[in-house]
Amino acid sequence: MSVSIQGSANPMSDLLLQIVIYTLIWGSIYLLISLGFSLICGVLRIFHLGYGVIFVLAAYLTWTFMEDAGLGLVPSIILMILVQCAFALIVFYKGVFQRYLEEEEILLTVSLLVFLVIVHLANYLFPVTAGVSIPSTIIDDIVTIGGITIAWQMIIAALVGVVVTAIYVVALTRTRIGLVIRAISQNLPAALLMGANVNRMYYLAMILSVIPPTICMIMIAPFWGIDPFMGMPLLMTAMLVSILGGLGNLKGSIVASYLIGFIHASVSFVFVPRFMGFAALIVTLIVMIYRRGGIFAGETLW
Amino acid sequence: MLVKWLHESLVLVKTNFSEKGGYMMKTRRLFAGVVFVLLFFASTLWAAGPEATGPIKIGLIGNMSAPFSLSSKAAAMLAVDEINSTGGILGRKVELIVEDSKGEIPKCVEIYKKLVMNDKVAAVFIAEKVEMGVAGMEIGAELFKEYPHVFFSTIGSGDDIWHRVRDNYEKYRFGFQTYYHVSTNYLKIVSLDNSEIFKNIMKAKKVAIIYEDMEWTKPLRKGLPGVSVSLAGVYKENGLDVVNETTVSLDQKMFNPTFETIAKAGAEAIDCVIGYIDEPAFIKQWAQSSARNIPLNIWGGLAGMPQAWKMTEGKVNGVSVGSSLVRVSITPKTIPFMDTLIAKYKVGPIFGSHTTYDSIFGFKKAVEKAGGTGDINALIKQLEQVEEVAVLGSIGWHPKYHYNLPSPKYVTPIVQWQKGEMQVIYPPKYKTADYQPPAVLRK
Repeated sequence: MSVSIQGSANPMSDLLLQIVIYTLIWGSIYLLISLGFSLICGVLRIFHLGYGVIFVLAAYLTWTFMEDAGLGLVPSIILMILVQCAFALIVFYKGVFQRYLEEEEILLTVSLLVFLVIVHLANYLFPVTAGVSIPSTIIDDIVTIGGITIAWQMIIAALVGVVVTAIYVVALTRTRIGLVIRAISQNLPAALLMGANVNRMYYLAMILSVIPPTICMIMIAPFWGIDPFMGMPLLMTAMLVSILGGLGNLKGSIVASYLIGFIHASVSFVFVPRFMGFAALIVTLIVMIYRRGGIFAGETLW
Repeated sequence: MLVKWLHESLVLVKTNFSEKGGYMMKTRRLFAGVVFVLLFFASTLWAAGPEATGPIKIGLIGNMSAPFSLSSKAAAMLAVDEINSTGGILGRKVELIVEDSKGEIPKCVEIYKKLVMNDKVAAVFIAEKVEMGVAGMEIGAELFKEYPHVFFSTIGSGDDIWHRVRDNYEKYRFGFQTYYHVSTNYLKIVSLDNSEIFKNIMKAKKVAIIYEDMEWTKPLRKGLPGVSVSLAGVYKENGLDVVNETTVSLDQKMFNPTFETIAKAGAEAIDCVIGYIDEPAFIKQWAQSSARNIPLNIWGGLAGMPQAWKMTEGKVNGVSVGSSLVRVSITPKTIPFMDTLIAKYKVGPIFGSHTTYDSIFGFKKAVEKAGGTGDINALIKQLEQVEEVAVLGSIGWHPKYHYNLPSPKYVTPIVQWQKGEMQVIYPPKYKTADYQPPAVLRK
């Protein structure tokens, strides 16, 4: 079912098209990776070092439900999302965030420890010889656009990233609940005075923060390696996007995701792929020097 | 320091008799000092390497949360069980002491010292990455004179172990490396095999090479002065046209640009000098790129494990890879080893298990020829000459450099994933199926 859309034979146009296409695709995937992290930063004002655990749980819970409980892919994903939400609320929110909100160092350390415990547990229960995978391929084929070949699954993952972000932006800017969440993110004492149920909104924010990375893991699994330690590089990507965009600012995260996507694509196709991570770090560092707080610095979610 | 302490004690004794009331306390101190000195000398006399009678103790160090070390542990237990059930070595039972390094170098060093100094093992086997082997070899070299023993690195690849033996034989002669390949063999043997596979089996003339950015690939990228040109140079000498060379990093997750560039370069085969990068992601992205119909040959790693099919959702179909885990009878020992390991220890054979098992049998034969473990020089001499039927061919070590005898003595078959099965395509002696292009296999 390979689709081919003919393009120019000019190498320079091909290169530009390649950079544009991969910027859009990778940028959208990075957005999906980092959306939840930005939300937690924006609403709870917490630098969530345990965020990487969401990816690990998404992969390994789905696998467990499929392999050990014999459930199908969709029921396994649904069950996994429920467990993810419960884990986020009970372990992270009630167990860590609420308890250590005033002691930031402990909060950060404990969050990271929870993450590491889960990682090592996954490694113990499912070592590499377990052959963990998630059969979530939607279209197992490639498409050629103007001479540039892309996997359908990457395009689908990118589209899902755009749709999920759009839903979040609309929900946060056009609904009453979104208004309350934004009010909390901008000025917590004022929001409390106005009668906002902060605790309930925090619960909601925790659940909302779990959904994008969970969906992300399911969507990227067909072209991503699954191992117990995969959460760390994904956490790093989420952190990089959020820091570059401005901590807790969704507008910033959107811009930063595509900017990092552009850097990665340009460096990969013009120079060598192995420098793409390094290049993104350098650009982030430069931005942070000249624009303290990131591209969209500000104490607001949107 | 000890002399200084004794001198001070004697001075104290002299003073004791002139000091009123302090006599008893100082006498106790003197007594404690004498006991300490006696114990010190006794322990020095005691520390004379492995016992010449009683069980022969051997130690195994590994990261016991890593699959390769766990598999090596099971293989070592199997080897020891088999040796003991047939009368041991020269009538002496073999006792295996397993220790967990937890993947930490300081821990590995501490355990190595404990095994050699306290447990008095005759041999230490490190079934872990090469950094651990190097750490073990360094501490082993310090202890060797006082505690004669031999050491085997059964997982660490590359040149760090055997180069030490080559460059300072006297100091490191107790060390042996039993992992499949070292740079010289890569360039002198493996690259020639690969050239044949590309030209005659895959019918490819234009090759792209992908290296992972690790120390072990450096000699392949740059060549070994006085020994060989680079891998690309060897391929060129053998009539292949290297159209693209690139390096990928260990933390890299996106490989599409690499494959797209290679496809544009017109490569007819991709040689992947990799073993530690995220291979499932690498393979999945190859199968969804412009290069998906270009044969992918991987040197080692996860792609050569039976689980690779599941981990990549079958996208590994068509990939060829060096694998010692394929079920093919290289010697009469191969299949029984694989079956017993699974049946008895519930562990699958993965890289490191064969080499650990074979090293123990190589050690056994050398001890028998040396007449025991008492004369370390005789034992080392025998290890340099020994050849024993092994799981993957015959085990033995180079007499001067101490790496294990390479192919065709010790074989790593090249397999191709064909619709869920690993089939041997090279060497012809062990072939189980003909090579098929990836596009044909996907139909």
